[in-house]
Amino acid sequence: MATTRQRSARIGVDVGGTFTDLVLHDPVRKLARTGKLLTTPEDPSIAIVAGISRILTEAGLQPADLHSIVHGTTLVTNTIIERTGATVGLITTAGFRDTIEIGRETRYDLYDLFLELPPVIVPRSRRLEVAERVTADGDTLVELDERGLVEASRRLVEESGAEALAVSFMHAYRAPNHERRAAQIIRELYPTLPLSLSCEVAPEIREFERTTTTCANAYVQPLMHKYLDKLEAKLEQLGFRGRLYIMLSSGGITTPQEAKAYPIRLIESGPAAGAMAASFISKVAGLNRVISYDMGGTTAKICLIENCMPDHKFDFEAGRVRRFQKGSGMPLKVSVVDMIEIGAGGGSLARVDPASKLLKVGPRSAGSVPGPVCYGRGGEEPTVTDSDLVLGRLDPGYFLGGEMKLDLDHVRRAFADKIAPSVGLGDQEAALGVQRIVDEMMAAATRMHLAEKGKDPRDYTMIAFGGAGPVHAFNLARLLKVKRIVVPLGAGVASALGFLVAPPATDMVRTQISALDKVNWSEINSLFADMRAAGLRLLSDAGADPDQVAYRPTADMRHRGQGFEISVSLPSLVLSDSDLDTIRAKFFEVYKAQFGRALEGSPIEVVNWRLACTAPSVNIDIGEGRERTEQSLELARRGERDVLFEEKGWLACAVYDRYKLPTGCVFIGPALVEERESTCVIGPGSKAHIDKSANLIIEIE
Amino acid sequence: MTDHSIENFDPISLEIYWSRLISIADEAATSLVRTAFSTIVRESNDYGTVVMDRNGDSISENTGGIASFSCILPRTTKAFLAKFPAETWRPGDAVITNDPWLATGHLPDFTIVSPIFHDDRLVGFAGSISHSPDVGGSLWSADCQEIFEEGIRIRPAHLLRGGAWNEEFLDLLLGNVRLPEQVFGDLGAQVVANDVAARRVGDFLSDTKLRDLQTLSNAFHSRSDDAMRRAIAGVPDGVYSAILEADGFDDQTTRIVCSVAINGDRMHIDYEGTSPQVNRGINCVLNYTHAYSVYPIKCALDPLSPRNEGSYRAITVSAPGRSILNPVFPAPCNARQLTGHLLAGVIYRALAEVLPEKVIADSGGAPSMRAVFSGLNRERQAFSQVLFASGGMGAAPHKDGLSTTAFPTNVGAGSIEAYENVAPLLVWKKLLRTDSGGAGKFRGGLGQEIEVELRTDTPVRMSLLADRTKYPASGLLGGQCGGPSEILFEDGTKPHPKSRTTVAAGRKVTLRYAGGGGYGDPRSRDRAAVLADLENGYISVDAARQIYGQEIA
Repeated sequence: MATTRQRSARIGVDVGGTFTDLVLHDPVRKLARTGKLLTTPEDPSIAIVAGISRILTEAGLQPADLHSIVHGTTLVTNTIIERTGATVGLITTAGFRDTIEIGRETRYDLYDLFLELPPVIVPRSRRLEVAERVTADGDTLVELDERGLVEASRRLVEESGAEALAVSFMHAYRAPNHERRAAQIIRELYPTLPLSLSCEVAPEIREFERTTTTCANAYVQPLMHKYLDKLEAKLEQLGFRGRLYIMLSSGGITTPQEAKAYPIRLIESGPAAGAMAASFISKVAGLNRVISYDMGGTTAKICLIENCMPDHKFDFEAGRVRRFQKGSGMPLKVSVVDMIEIGAGGGSLARVDPASKLLKVGPRSAGSVPGPVCYGRGGEEPTVTDSDLVLGRLDPGYFLGGEMKLDLDHVRRAFADKIAPSVGLGDQEAALGVQRIVDEMMAAATRMHLAEKGKDPRDYTMIAFGGAGPVHAFNLARLLKVKRIVVPLGAGVASALGFLVAPPATDMVRTQISALDKVNWSEINSLFADMRAAGLRLLSDAGADPDQVAYRPTADMRHRGQGFEISVSLPSLVLSDSDLDTIRAKFFEVYKAQFGRALEGSPIEVVNWRLACTAPSVNIDIGEGRERTEQSLELARRGERDVLFEEKGWLACAVYDRYKLPTGCVFIGPALVEERESTCVIGPGSKAHIDKSANLIIEIE
Repeated sequence: MTDHSIENFDPISLEIYWSRLISIADEAATSLVRTAFSTIVRESNDYGTVVMDRNGDSISENTGGIASFSCILPRTTKAFLAKFPAETWRPGDAVITNDPWLATGHLPDFTIVSPIFHDDRLVGFAGSISHSPDVGGSLWSADCQEIFEEGIRIRPAHLLRGGAWNEEFLDLLLGNVRLPEQVFGDLGAQVVANDVAARRVGDFLSDTKLRDLQTLSNAFHSRSDDAMRRAIAGVPDGVYSAILEADGFDDQTTRIVCSVAINGDRMHIDYEGTSPQVNRGINCVLNYTHAYSVYPIKCALDPLSPRNEGSYRAITVSAPGRSILNPVFPAPCNARQLTGHLLAGVIYRALAEVLPEKVIADSGGAPSMRAVFSGLNRERQAFSQVLFASGGMGAAPHKDGLSTTAFPTNVGAGSIEAYENVAPLLVWKKLLRTDSGGAGKFRGGLGQEIEVELRTDTPVRMSLLADRTKYPASGLLGGQCGGPSEILFEDGTKPHPKSRTTVAAGRKVTLRYAGGGGYGDPRSRDRAAVLADLENGYISVDAARQIYGQEIA
């Protein structure tokens, strides 16, 4: 083995439902490459290893040249959606084995008598109780019945065949000692059995959500163990000697060991990567207030990015029975990038609702099979991509760079047959209707998301990517009154970039409810010290330089009596009464921004104390390794095409080749800019240019 | 009905506008929950938000809210307009009431309505309702004899004028409640919600360049009206009747006599023959009777189109004056849900012969069962907590009823950990009740059992609002009834299910919530389903053998 070779290359691998995407970057050798191959669902490591080998060969590198591989997987999401996880046994406090089944007791759809609820993740027959009880203040009322615990564990493992155990006791978010003792006992009995404790997986108040999260973690744990063990072995066989990192839902990366212990924290890693890519682009472009807009085949994801960082939230709903219907899924207490996901992608199907006779788009999607009508693979129902084609936004001869020919006539017929007659419109008007609805759906959701945070979209720049993002960005920006759009080069695969720029990170939380003016600071300071030490240990294991780790302490606070908290940043990890004024002022500032009014006289309390630990992110040059051919606006002009715009009619648009547009060139809308994986629509009344980082910037009048 | 003002909207704009107005109501609801102080709103979902046009007709409501609230709010707004004519409203005003006859049928619900102005013109109203943690009087209870005992009654009055609180009014109100901070906190949350809706409707009108909401509102109403009429027209003409009995108060059994008359695309629901009003708080005012009569019809016939004022135009509801479904002032009505929630069951029973595939059996949680605990904690601070929990839903024609799910209300439960954090109450168990789901080809949803210990140093006042102890939820088409509700102390003694009592510190109360009725003959239930129920302990071995006829080795 060549010992002098520098171990400097990094690869990001995203295993999606259809494709496994790869991106390679080597800052020393100045290399950047992307790759795409079909996912191998029966064993995802096959495509991963094949893809890595291929991209290395293309770059002229060897496995030993790799510094690290960052991996994101939909394994967790898919396991939960498809219900293919492990046989889990749950042990709870006596009297509470039905918590996860009783749930919130409300109906998410008021008018559906035959409502489907998400299936309970651990059936009642595998939920057992042991005597123990702690009060809300953390006092022990009933000691843990250790013999009962042994019996319950034995029954679950030996009689019910549990492959993983979950333990969730009442108030364990603040008094974890019974759960920890239970863990000791269970580990003595079954040293290798995957075990999830609620005080570790999701140490937060509200037993239904905490217990459900703990069970979900146990549910995916055995699979994740097997999967990562296998992947690590295969990579070693390949000759890989670097570090393997796993992408988290929060946008950070972690070690395989942590991923095996808390696999539930990977649930939204794919969308998080997109948000991290947008954060990185905003940093390079010097933008402080950004709406990240990532629209793919089945969904659009919208995320607010301020000061080059997305917000986080600490709950997420998985496996919704009714797609995109809030309340129809399993609530999980995990740290995720705060974004909204809308059932609006290129493949979203258009239909006419028989009851109201109104045109609806999504949330059902044509997926890749049969796909939109224009793919000619048997799809008969028009989709958003089909309407893009009818309206002239896509070139039937240059989809995926010409790899796939699109069938325009077939699409027109589908609109004329399926949509137009029921709504009394022509096929073009119907296609325009699909556009308007899908764009307005995204706009409405974005407005609401920003409004809930007390933000005005007019103050933001939009970063648009994903296959369909640049197609719809202009109109979406117009609806939101956003003045500027940034479309990065390679927008169609930009989210894979997120894997390479994501920092090693971990989020920790402890619930300790107290009135703000009565907080026992020495307790809280030692709590932060514990979290800091744990975070540092984890990030050091992940290869971070301990001196470079940044800590962001926040507190979830509310007025006493309220049930929902707002996140308030804290001035330091070591606090005292002298910080009270600062914290209080910050609380009112955040509260007023969100709700418009402050309640100055009303007492404040703190519920959760959080610490986000982050190692520095990696800077990479996206343009690296790009071929420098001769470029000019004239050379980039590929021709002209008519596009139908709302309220404007058909307009002739210049069509440009994205790869040939030189830095600094300026042109006006209407225009189309085409690249391999996407087309950017630039409407009338706007001006576009290419900046020094090869971003396409559109300014709307 | 001819309407000249609806031709201007194409179906695409209508869909876009409609969704946007629904999302505005949802945003108002989110703001309300996030800023509310009481666990009633924030943990248990007992609130609603509605966007209305200039006439007070509803355009959109929050998703997953409370059916009675969204149905009644426009009626209350019209009562406000009768007292305060449209031209007297100013930006920043908010008007409030809790009058049972004008609003939602009992004092604890505060209705607050704010005007929406656009270009200096009144274009509509934003309204919200939430169940207040306290309204003074005798606790939330079922046994008062006059409304005056039940709490403070607020006739329509300004809560804010031009953005400023009506301090004298507030002082009067807050001086009459047990938990002034929580009550004020929730009022503030409702005002925030209305403000948010009003602002967003203004943005909406600017974006769409519409002058006001009227033509749009008419267009929505006519779509919803058409959808409901089409659905009613699909039901064979005729008069369908049923009778239902419930515990009522002591020997005054509640008897609901219901007839549903279908005539072409119109429906009339009548309660002639129903019990007279009583001198206890279970009388149900006509607003509430109407709301919980039309709501189950929408669920059964037209569940998919978004609801608004047009949805119920084709349906009329009548109940005899001075009956328990149309009582007159000053009848007590604090626990009107104990009667109003029964209506879905009797209507479905009436329709079962003609629409057996579209209705469900009686639900254990109809009516809901509530317990209120009020007293001092060990630090001598006042607390007053309602325990919210649900029984099981009735079984459907093709699936089992949902266990522990609110119906027809949508008030949920909430976290026990959060509950124990705000009151000196300790819950020892909260478990599904074996055999409480009515047996059937499809089983009723299970009720639950909750045991609460009062961890105080001083006695606690307890108010119970319960029914279904003598009349459990009945089954449909051969299905059996669900388990009845039961309330008992640790020594086996049973408090009156509709009473206020003082309970010694340290005692434990067990509440058993009723199960839903079954659907179809239990002996025809799928055998694998019977065995799965047995394995999960939803049914006992005895029930499996004797009721389902399952042989067990």
